[in-house]
Amino acid sequence: MLAYTVRRILVSVPVLIASTFIVFLVVVNSGDPVANFATSRQPAPSKAAVQAFARHIHADQPVLERYWNWITGVLHGDFGPSVQTNLNIGHDLFTRFRVTVTLVAAAMLIALILSVLFGAFSAIRQYTAADYSITFVGFLFLAMPVFWFAVLLKQAGIWINEKTGSQFLGTIGEKSPYLNVDTPWNEFVDRIGHLALPTITLALVSFASWTRYTRASMLEVLNSDYVRLARAKGLRRGRVITRHALRTALIPLATVTALDVASILGGAVVTETIFQWHGMGEMLVQAASTVDVYRLMAWLLLSAVVVIVFNLLADLLYAVLDPRIRYD
Amino acid sequence: MRAHPSALARGLTLAAGLVLALAACSSGGGGGGSGSGTSAGLTSCTTKGKADTCNSGATKAGGTFTYVLEKNIQQWNVQDANGNTFENGEALGVVLPQVFVPQPDLTVALNTDLVTSATQTGTGPQTIVYKINPKASWNDGTPITADDFVYYWRTNDGKDCPPPPASDATQTKGCLPQSTAGYDRVKSVTGSDGGKTVTVVMAKPFSDWKSLFGAGYPLYPAHVAEKLSGAKTGDAAHMTAAQMTEGWQYFQKTPPTKYATAGPYKMQQWVDNDHATYVPDPKWWGAHKPSLQRLIFKVITDATQEPIALQNNEVQGIYPQPEVDLVKQVKDIPNVTYTIGNGLNWEHFDLNLHNPVIGKYKALRQAMFTAISIKDIVSKTVGQFDPKVNHLGNHNFVPGQAGYQDVVTATGQGSGDLAKAKKYLTDARFTGVGTALKTPDGKTVGPFNCRYTTGNQIRQSECQILQSNLASLGIKVTIKPIGAADLGTVLVGHQYDIIVFAWVASPFPSSNAQQNWVTGGGGNYGGYSDKTVDKLVAQAVGETDQTKAAALLNQADKIMTDDAYVLPLYQKPTFLAVQTRFVNVRDNATNVGPPYNTAEWGLKK
Repeated sequence: MLAYTVRRILVSVPVLIASTFIVFLVVVNSGDPVANFATSRQPAPSKAAVQAFARHIHADQPVLERYWNWITGVLHGDFGPSVQTNLNIGHDLFTRFRVTVTLVAAAMLIALILSVLFGAFSAIRQYTAADYSITFVGFLFLAMPVFWFAVLLKQAGIWINEKTGSQFLGTIGEKSPYLNVDTPWNEFVDRIGHLALPTITLALVSFASWTRYTRASMLEVLNSDYVRLARAKGLRRGRVITRHALRTALIPLATVTALDVASILGGAVVTETIFQWHGMGEMLVQAASTVDVYRLMAWLLLSAVVVIVFNLLADLLYAVLDPRIRYD
Repeated sequence: MRAHPSALARGLTLAAGLVLALAACSSGGGGGGSGSGTSAGLTSCTTKGKADTCNSGATKAGGTFTYVLEKNIQQWNVQDANGNTFENGEALGVVLPQVFVPQPDLTVALNTDLVTSATQTGTGPQTIVYKINPKASWNDGTPITADDFVYYWRTNDGKDCPPPPASDATQTKGCLPQSTAGYDRVKSVTGSDGGKTVTVVMAKPFSDWKSLFGAGYPLYPAHVAEKLSGAKTGDAAHMTAAQMTEGWQYFQKTPPTKYATAGPYKMQQWVDNDHATYVPDPKWWGAHKPSLQRLIFKVITDATQEPIALQNNEVQGIYPQPEVDLVKQVKDIPNVTYTIGNGLNWEHFDLNLHNPVIGKYKALRQAMFTAISIKDIVSKTVGQFDPKVNHLGNHNFVPGQAGYQDVVTATGQGSGDLAKAKKYLTDARFTGVGTALKTPDGKTVGPFNCRYTTGNQIRQSECQILQSNLASLGIKVTIKPIGAADLGTVLVGHQYDIIVFAWVASPFPSSNAQQNWVTGGGGNYGGYSDKTVDKLVAQAVGETDQTKAAALLNQADKIMTDDAYVLPLYQKPTFLAVQTRFVNVRDNATNVGPPYNTAEWGLKK
């Protein structure tokens, strides 16, 4: 499996380079940050300032030279200049990645646990009130626009705060700018209060689709011959479900989860915007709206790496979960 | 295998219950708001003469006020072309001093905490004398002196600290001031009385002399730049370009938590992309001692989230661009006062004179502008939440400014008078008026495009109304949105026939006029050129009498209006909402924003 892993990583390098090159060409030609700079301030910047800005972001260089300088710079840890002249893109990228991971980690864990529990339960109790309820809720969250649901949750949070006379649930940012009594415990509680609403938002959206996968997969397994045989041999139902059915049913979910987590790590754009978490999603939006070429490329690079890694993880996980699969 | 009907019913009931529970949470979120938003506080701000005093009150000690910044601050030198952002001006105005401060009534007021007087003592040559307040000092104990003024002048005149050379790959070896206007006309800045009197002698007269050393662009501590660059302390007059560059770069990269400041507050903490925390500066000598325990500027980059944060008491003051839903949301929050003011931003239609037909026929331009109904535009856009919005009649001044004179209405432009518009065309021998317009030499007029920034619903409506108005003349207009990041490309590349966007007027209109209307000016994207206008604007910039300068600008404006190049529509409304338990926070539509008087903000006594 080690050889397989190394081979996969090596294959991904040219894929990464090719994708960055194509995207670089697209991004460079998608707008003119120099013209934006020249017109976005009042009084309009002098010609010298506009020229200096163009030189600073390397807009005066040929595209191929820019790409070469960028890719070789990245190998040395230099992600290139941003249209925000003092911004260190590398620092920005990793700070934002941390923020997004913080936001996503708890949500994904909760979503995974809930979706396995409810999905399996729904399958076991197929066509009962519980199954219909879970199905309905699943489809409801699948159909509900995230921006609307998040705002609804914010209002619910404010209502709870008002009823409890507290300021526990935060609607913006990772934490409060200050705490009246600044102790580690208070800071922890404050962070949890700010994490709660966006986590619920993200968790329920993922929960909705994952529950459906679990249910479908579980149903297939429960109706398979080996489960029927296990039951016929006299094994208890609970044991059959947990030891034989669920483990097999989780295999497709592992793939889906790994791929979903990879895409969410690229930025839960809507959730981050609504809850003002300055993560990868905000970075993507800002970089795209200001034609910040190198910042966008940094985002792309990290997101691509995450997708490649999680794809690999999904494949490896498959092998772990399913003894029939072996990579040579 | 079908479900039992009762099981299905139970399931749906349970799910519906969940939805109702969520909906209940949602509807209760307003906390029983009953439109009490329009309480006393800020409501009187739009009454004439009240702009500078509304929402006043005595304060009591304590409290934290969190105000929203709509953008992060990446560059801390507001004098720099790159750092010249509204948010940077707001954040730095709290801790750095400036001579004249733009006020809510759009005038400028002398900051007597910094200088006890600033007087134009002579006109030949123009001479200005500043008397620095004897108590004025940076919070590291260094007095504020003429040296700080010399440093300011020399870094902003475009000569002593020139722009970075092309060979500088990082483009950091030089100064790039946001504007050299005025400073490039200074002949000398000298200190006397132990540095407490500053005498500025101009080589060429400068009308907007009150914009020097302030007006949103405060002083930075010269001694800090001198020390870090190895220059002699107190001798900014002899700093080399390299030394000044070092200071310039330092102030770009360094938040004011790390160097000596001179404001009612000091910045205690800056968390990038999140917030700035200010606390009262014990060294502050000024007339108003801050009563707040803490002032926070919180970065919220999505305006639609601001009312929710205000409702949840996470912030106490917001200053977003108003929209119908946003205003309605704030109205429903209890214990919040708000005002919709008339700002310095003004919306306008521009014609691209590089288009051969538009550029050639003045009568066509006049007809187009006359056919446009600004009344319709206002009533279908901003008038929906601000019934006070009116047609703007000047390209340099807004109502309330001393020089304001309506030079547009009398021409009929913006009136929607189709008969008059058609007469312009028939008199100029256009054919197909009202059906398919053709020039006197038989060429089809249009189709023209009307361009606006995508996602801006108001501007989309404005283009649609224009499209309908011009159809009555026989001109076909297609509406073509501009990508969010492409406005600059479109303007600089003249990729439009008609475009709608906004400009910011200024308490100092001469410099703005030079940018926007003079041949080759940086903001003159449509390519307007008239020798008389160029001459009048140049005279206005060099006129030391403000009244005469305004008269010259209005004279130029009449010519330009007659040429039908830019049609002013209306002043864009501003929107400030603040919790009623705080006083002395009020709208300031200039480049310094509501934080122009943070020393006075506080809890109502």
